[in-house]
Amino acid sequence: MAGRLLLVCRLMVRDLRRRRTETVLLLLAISAATATLTLGLALNNALAQPYERTRAATAGPDVVAMPGATGPEALAALAPLATAPGVTAHSGPYPIAYLMLTACGRTVPAVVAGRDNSPAALDRPAVTAGTWVRPGGVVVEPTFANALGVHIGDTVDINGHPLRVVGTAVTAARAVYPRADWRADEGSPLTEFAGLVWVDRSQISALAGTRPLSYTLNLKYADPHASTSFTHKSVGGIEYTSWMEIADADGKLVKQARLALLVGSWLLTVLAVASVANIVAGRVVDQRRRVGLLKAVGAGPAMIAAVHLAEYLVIGLAAAGTGLAAGWLAAPALTNPGAGLLGSTGTHPPALRTVLAATALALAIAAVATLAPVLRAATTDTVHALADAATPPRRRGWRVWLSRRMPAALLIGIRINARRPRRARLVMVNTLITTTGVAALLMGLAQDPRVKLGESELANPQSARTLQAMFLVIVVLCVLALINAIVSTWTAVLDARHPLAVARTLGATPGQITAGMAVAQLLPAIPGVALGVPAGIGLYLVASTGDPQYAPASWMLALVLAVLLTVAALSAIPALAATRRPVADALQSTPT
Amino acid sequence: MTGSALLRARGVTRWYGRESALVRAVDEVDLDVPAGQTLAIMGPSGCGKSTLLHLLGGLQRPTDGEIWLAEHRIDGMSERDLARLRRHHIGFVFQSFHLMDELTAVENVELAALLAGWSPRRARKRAMHLLDRVGLADRAKHLPSALSGGQRQRVAIARALSNEPLVVLADEPTGNLDSAATLEVLRLFEELRTAGQTLVVVTHDARIAAVADRVISMRDGSFADDSQLAETAAGAGTVYGGWR
Repeated sequence: MAGRLLLVCRLMVRDLRRRRTETVLLLLAISAATATLTLGLALNNALAQPYERTRAATAGPDVVAMPGATGPEALAALAPLATAPGVTAHSGPYPIAYLMLTACGRTVPAVVAGRDNSPAALDRPAVTAGTWVRPGGVVVEPTFANALGVHIGDTVDINGHPLRVVGTAVTAARAVYPRADWRADEGSPLTEFAGLVWVDRSQISALAGTRPLSYTLNLKYADPHASTSFTHKSVGGIEYTSWMEIADADGKLVKQARLALLVGSWLLTVLAVASVANIVAGRVVDQRRRVGLLKAVGAGPAMIAAVHLAEYLVIGLAAAGTGLAAGWLAAPALTNPGAGLLGSTGTHPPALRTVLAATALALAIAAVATLAPVLRAATTDTVHALADAATPPRRRGWRVWLSRRMPAALLIGIRINARRPRRARLVMVNTLITTTGVAALLMGLAQDPRVKLGESELANPQSARTLQAMFLVIVVLCVLALINAIVSTWTAVLDARHPLAVARTLGATPGQITAGMAVAQLLPAIPGVALGVPAGIGLYLVASTGDPQYAPASWMLALVLAVLLTVAALSAIPALAATRRPVADALQSTPT
Repeated sequence: MTGSALLRARGVTRWYGRESALVRAVDEVDLDVPAGQTLAIMGPSGCGKSTLLHLLGGLQRPTDGEIWLAEHRIDGMSERDLARLRRHHIGFVFQSFHLMDELTAVENVELAALLAGWSPRRARKRAMHLLDRVGLADRAKHLPSALSGGQRQRVAIARALSNEPLVVLADEPTGNLDSAATLEVLRLFEELRTAGQTLVVVTHDARIAAVADRVISMRDGSFADDSQLAETAAGAGTVYGGWR
């Protein structure tokens, strides 16, 4: 037993060391999928955790009450709530004015809250930069400040009154830009997109001018169910907004980005499986003689499977670790405090659930992708494996008739694919998924990334984050697809070096050989691209909300051409290099 | 199994293809190889001699007929049982050596012994002993890529012996070697014959046939001639000399 264990470990370690490039490629392929899954799960937490952290840090209320009435009537309506049964704490009432703010030449609606300098029992906005409100100064919610392009020290104009930006702060009592709920008429239930700013309470009446002030009261209940049994309700002319509605509105900022990452992680998982299967198939083809030898000296199918699976499972485990670390480190870029909330996902170690999910995914990819070739290797005929013969294509009369009429390059390409049909299928899957992902991104880019605030348009942080997430997925997807394409062409060239050398001795030119290799890759790539474009558009339409715009046809055409040209170029380069080698060298092989 | 033959075949047939494309690679062959005999099977390319060797070693299954090795009928064995049989009782030597590129010479030699369940220490000791016997003790830590063709084949022969097999089956062992290397291999086979190791060699090389106890000529899948050249080294017994 010890001897066999030693043998499995020895063969595994030596093979990993001997095939460093392939090992790194396998590691990258599986890591890419696990990293994206980690990112998706991290963003899932981002929907709740930063809001919860912000709520805890700012003593966020359970419920915010706001009467439909304004002025003294509103104060009178709110007065009994502070001492209502079950209420354990309150802050306010605080005056609110729905005014127009002008900054950097743009006038947009802003919810202006009047606050004191003294800390309140509930809703103590946390200053993220600069200072808290003071007379003549205004504090802006950070996402709103980013969209406006204002910084500390800049001057903004609120309802004709110039004020200096003295700081930025976050709160859990009102949703972040653009969902701060501006109302054209005080007391109206209809809300519009806007941002939130705070001014000194003593100044708000002057800023509002003739407009009456609304008021909000923050409440905390002894019974948590009192705030979690509803999200929004209106009773006796008072609107009650629970913290859950605010958390949900804040979560919308990253909801689409999370969806993009989750869908992206599925695509990447499929591509990673294809990628690993591609590399493993190449390795197993290369290792057929090794398998034959092991069988000849008495290794049974279980031993052969153990030798191979051990190798890929070790790579899978290493990839799980790498992917987890990469995904977790990348997460803060998508969930930084710029979202108007405190903290980010990268500040704590990943949850056990995330670690288990990423490890399971990595091992599943390694197992699924390697199982078929490994089982095939384990059950392969020993003599056949020792001879390392390719699968002979089935000879059909019409194929023979057709092949005699084909140009040499096309014939070479078809023959290469007929020798290794599985590789051709992997090329198709590779191009299908890559094209699907990029077509979905092009659809995303075709959407309007701005949000309308009054008469002006500002950057929509939700669109920006969604596109950011999509770009991230596409970059990883393209890297993985590139790895796949390189491995596929590389193994195809290596595998076909003998038949191609024979073709050269029969008079095929290096140009025909190169074109033949390109054709071998292009033939399965064409259906992949043809299916990928509608699949990408469909995917975007299913995942998006509202009424999305279609990307211009020219973009899709450019995508198709770019993918096919890349595939052709990637195959032509190694093929061209192979044709520089003397035919005699390729025909000779040195057995070991 | 009856008689004293270590390896016995009765009516062994192996066909490839079907109907008009049917090829009878091995056609109703009967064979008895006593323990300790060195048998050379010769014949032109495509006469079926390699296929016969693969059938005798359980690497391929016959279309018809029976094959016995020692007390075991092997033609109907499961893949797992065949693997166990090869692991413990058969050693193979190939024309293309088939050494593991990533393993050193000594690691290649101990491969079969480790698969046979030997302890790492015992397998290493045996491998070093065999490398010493084939004159490659100083090359034990070299990778196959650092060895000449003759040295690689000597490593392959040592590997074939590492699990103390009942029979060594060699398929064109000098086919890829130059004259000098062929002589090295011939010397080893001569030593094995003298030591009483049962050996079946498929070859084109008349020099190998010259060191055999018996030479069989094959043509079109059948035996054309069977010549007993010398007394079997160990008669019915086995004298393994320094190889054990």
